[in-house]
Amino acid sequence: MHELWQASQHAMVLLFTGNRDLWEIIGISFSVSLKAIVIATPAAFAAAFVLVYTRFRGRGVVMSIMNTSLSLPAVVVGLTLYLLLSRSGPFGDLRLLFTQTAMTIGQVILAFPLVFVMSHSAIQSGQRAAWETALTLGASPIRAVLTVLYEVRFGLIAAVIAGFGRIVAEVGSSMMVGGNIAHFTRNIPTAIALETSKGEFAQGIALGFVLLVLAFGLNIGLSLMQRKGGVAP
Amino acid sequence: MKPILSLTGVHKRFGARCILDNVDVHLAPGQCQVLTGRNGAGKTTLLKIIAGLERPEAARVSIDGNERGWRRARSALRRDVVYLHQYAYMFDASVEYNVGYGLRAARLPPSQRRARVAEALERIDLLHLAGANARTLSGGERQRVALARAWALQPRVMLLDEPTANMDRESREQTWFLLRRLKSDELCVVVATHDGHAIATLPDIELHLDNGNLFPHAADTHSHRPTPSPVATGSAAGPRLEEQG
Repeated sequence: MHELWQASQHAMVLLFTGNRDLWEIIGISFSVSLKAIVIATPAAFAAAFVLVYTRFRGRGVVMSIMNTSLSLPAVVVGLTLYLLLSRSGPFGDLRLLFTQTAMTIGQVILAFPLVFVMSHSAIQSGQRAAWETALTLGASPIRAVLTVLYEVRFGLIAAVIAGFGRIVAEVGSSMMVGGNIAHFTRNIPTAIALETSKGEFAQGIALGFVLLVLAFGLNIGLSLMQRKGGVAP
Repeated sequence: MKPILSLTGVHKRFGARCILDNVDVHLAPGQCQVLTGRNGAGKTTLLKIIAGLERPEAARVSIDGNERGWRRARSALRRDVVYLHQYAYMFDASVEYNVGYGLRAARLPPSQRRARVAEALERIDLLHLAGANARTLSGGERQRVALARAWALQPRVMLLDEPTANMDRESREQTWFLLRRLKSDELCVVVATHDGHAIATLPDIELHLDNGNLFPHAADTHSHRPTPSPVATGSAAGPRLEEQG
């Protein structure tokens, strides 16, 4: 208990005295995960919208694949990407293995199904009348799509937050395709795993604290937005 | 009177069920047509096809006498025709935003847009609620805002789908009163309704939809056959409605 208390105190010192290594890890983590969520979100929204508002053969299959992908283990994504990006793999020539780009690709693959399924549910819960009303009032299809998305914005924001929460804390994919290289591909979860294995808990606790604050902040932000909008998703 | 819009040979099925079987519709300016029919007869589907919101399996569309393919007709229908849902959908924003939505989509300059919105709200006596969130309005008020929203666009055809469903008597009367107030010589109004008061007082033409066919009036649902009348004539595969001046 005493050891935990000491490690926590040390963690706060590292965090609030601006420890360069620690903040670099936080920076890499946010940079990679933000890029991934920015790439995954529009694609997931578009795919969810198409699936809700169009009828085509195989819709059920797509939905089943996406639902199954929700439980896709990060380490399996990492392993698959590793095989694809390694020197002997089909994309080895791109030299992406152990780079932040590879980590971003892995996180896009992990975030997409979650953002897709949650936004699909949000768009489906919105009334079809919103789409038809926009069109009959003369809106172009693009404007009508944006109107529908705005109408279910809180559900969509929740989807993005959940997606970001999943990828910023994942360790399996980042470790395998990033390689946990200091100052380059070491992010919060891989750093926590490394420091813990070395018995250095202070940095791990500090980074864990950052993740908790992030999760808390995102939830508070979402609640405030919902209250301001006055309409539940 | 020359029709603004004619849809002929409209055919629509959902799976094995035929909803509309070779239906003809002709809409002329200044006209009010009331559409009746039992629940599930296809009234909403027909109105949505006229509004370009639902794609028929087959239809010939003529706008101002010019025949067009469905793709081209659809965008013209969405420009000239406004469809009002049974339960008016309000965007999660102010009443003013809702009424101005179509004007914004039509890229009307802000000053003109504001003036048109104010005029529309004045016509429905809800100018004092311009800043209120439209989702907080009662069912009757929502329907009035939906009418103003449609009217503000100055469409050539307005389609109302059971506009007084689940309304109390006062709200119903107010809706019909407003509809009469918004009518003009240029506007054609089609109302799908079961409301006896509206059927008795509103229409220039009364139509009845049954078994996928459109008939000129609705006395007895089961005895209808596609028979010629001053407002409707039969075609080989089903009845055909003709314009009435």
